[in-house]
Amino acid sequence: MNFRSLYRNSQIFKIALGIAILVVGYIASVFYKQMQSLESSVNVITNATETQLELERVLSIISIYETNLRSYVITKDKSYLEHRFLRKGEIEMNFIRIKKLVANNPARSKDVDQLKRMIDYRFALFKETLLLAESKNPGKEQLIAKLKESSDFTESMKTFVYKTINAEGDKIKIHNDNHQFELQDSIISAFLLVILSLLILLLSFNKMNVDIKELKKANDDLQFLNHSFNNAEKIAGFGHWKIDLETKLYTFSDNFLRLLGVDPNKFEPTIENFSKHIHPDDVDFVIKSHKESLETLEPTSMMFRYILPDGDIRYIRSVGSFTRNSKGDMIKTGVNYDVSDQYKKTLELEENNKELKSINEELESFNNIVSHDLQEPLHKIQMFISRIEAKEIDLISDQGKVYFSKIKLSANKMQTLLIDLVNYSRTIKGDKVFKETNLNEIITQILDDLAINIEDKKAVISAAILPTIKVIPFQMEQLFINLISNSLKYSKDDVNPIISIFEEEIFENEIYESKIISNEEYCKIVIVDNGIGFKQEYSSKIFNLFYRLEKDSKYSGTGLGLAICKRIVENHDGFIQVSSVPGEGAEFAIFIPRNI
Amino acid sequence: MITHKDSIHILIADDDEDDRAFFSDAMMELKMNNKLTLFNDGKDLMEYLANPDIVMPHILFLDLNMPYKSGFECLKEIRADSRFKEVSIAIYSTSSSEKDIEETFIEGANIYIKKPNDFTKLKKVIKEVLNINWQFHSSGLNKETFFFSI
Repeated sequence: MNFRSLYRNSQIFKIALGIAILVVGYIASVFYKQMQSLESSVNVITNATETQLELERVLSIISIYETNLRSYVITKDKSYLEHRFLRKGEIEMNFIRIKKLVANNPARSKDVDQLKRMIDYRFALFKETLLLAESKNPGKEQLIAKLKESSDFTESMKTFVYKTINAEGDKIKIHNDNHQFELQDSIISAFLLVILSLLILLLSFNKMNVDIKELKKANDDLQFLNHSFNNAEKIAGFGHWKIDLETKLYTFSDNFLRLLGVDPNKFEPTIENFSKHIHPDDVDFVIKSHKESLETLEPTSMMFRYILPDGDIRYIRSVGSFTRNSKGDMIKTGVNYDVSDQYKKTLELEENNKELKSINEELESFNNIVSHDLQEPLHKIQMFISRIEAKEIDLISDQGKVYFSKIKLSANKMQTLLIDLVNYSRTIKGDKVFKETNLNEIITQILDDLAINIEDKKAVISAAILPTIKVIPFQMEQLFINLISNSLKYSKDDVNPIISIFEEEIFENEIYESKIISNEEYCKIVIVDNGIGFKQEYSSKIFNLFYRLEKDSKYSGTGLGLAICKRIVENHDGFIQVSSVPGEGAEFAIFIPRNI
Repeated sequence: MITHKDSIHILIADDDEDDRAFFSDAMMELKMNNKLTLFNDGKDLMEYLANPDIVMPHILFLDLNMPYKSGFECLKEIRADSRFKEVSIAIYSTSSSEKDIEETFIEGANIYIKKPNDFTKLKKVIKEVLNINWQFHSSGLNKETFFFSI
């Protein structure tokens, strides 16, 4: 995963942002700590400086006091003593301030207490000196001694105070140095903080920008999709609708309303407004089915009619089903489409179908006429012919016998024709039940049935091993009967008919009516005879109904035999071909699909 | 049980006068010891059979296309009545349609004969049919042996 994709992954971005915020928080807290310690350093320094100042002030007050006392001793001028109580009060005030300043420092408090005692003692010395100086007869030595003692004590007090001041000075120095370092740390921290914040801000901004772009693109795509969908609805002629089962509000697509023939902008989407456009015969059923489905949540599918504002009636198919939206509300959505054209076509088709059925029925009754009603009188004619032949033939003149034999021939021919017609019609309808059938069995049966005919003609019929395929057995039988009979019928007078039936492999790319056929798909069965044959140009015509090549009365064809063959092969989705040279014989080839 | 020594009682119902004549002529020419009763249609036949005093026939030849009551209807009614369970029924029709053969077989006819178009053949058919050992024929009855061919 490269950086770009990491950057695009908003989950990872969120984690990074979280970490960054933690880091910033940490640095900010460090910075805050540093600031606090810096502030306390400043406080300590201020405190120390003030303590120094106060102590010096105390010393200076003591000095002033001492100077004033000495001046008074020398001059006896009382004005030097004017402010002495004030001075004492001032020192008291100083001490209160110092006490406050050193309150956090027990060692220093002790020093201050000691200083207080020293000062108290100094003031006691002042008082004694003043008393000596004011006495009527002060001893000079005594006074000098007291002054000296005072002065010495002052010195020692000064030393003590300076020691304390220096101690405070050292403290300031240490703090000052620390202060320098701390300040530097703080600057670095602050710098880092700003850089990091800026970085996060930039990244966030960029990410936001990218996200917005993507959102916009997604939005554009969605809009395009929506547009396409609307277009698709218009082109395909359908419209969609939905109802939110929570809010009971309907939504109809623009094309839905267009199908109704109303202006999408002037339609209030309610079921009542919609039902006004449904055909009065259909509306109750439509609304009832729809309302029921809202209870059962079963999908609906129905067909009904719209009446358009111009009075045109349209056939509509409507399907609807249920789903939940993103909020979890149940929604029924559906599609209505105009099926008028299809419906009309279906009606037409049904009409045609009916017509076709009635035609078929007519054909059926025609079949019955042919197979039964026509056969009955023919049967009677033939019976009477046989009766005359048996009993009365001797009573007829020779000319009458000739006429009579012609009547008999015609009756027989008519019978053949009727049988062929029945067979042909059976190939049109008939029960088309396909069964795995061994063709050899069929051929054996046929040769048995045709035995008399074959014997008459002294024909030699050879059947090779034939395949077992899925066919309609009785039709296959009919097919081979017709083909073999055909070969027997159109045999040469002076040559014994030789008929061979065999399966032949289909060579590559044999083509029939521009369709390529292969040995895998089709089974090819060939029937070859040595009969009179015909010109190849008639090869397609001979399969036509009632088409006959030989009009000579010795060939008693009906023109139906090969037409039946063609129809049977077509019933099997196969085809039949014939090739022939006049005087040499004909070769029929049947192609039957191996899989039906 | 029918044997050749007994007189065989035969009924035929056919609306065609000529066909009835052909049939009785053929029987006469065969000179067999038989009793033949002719009926003009299915209704006549059923009225006759309804009489409990009749001599039970051995074989009944039934044409299919008849007015008032078709051969097919007669077949159904006769096969529904246990009184006639010993009677062999031969369908005797001009039609040889699959449908007729199939339906009469299902309804319990014993044999299906297509009316021959030749008098000699007709005689042959009647002779063969009367010589059939019916009990044997009926027990081995199937669709192939049902349709009678000479």
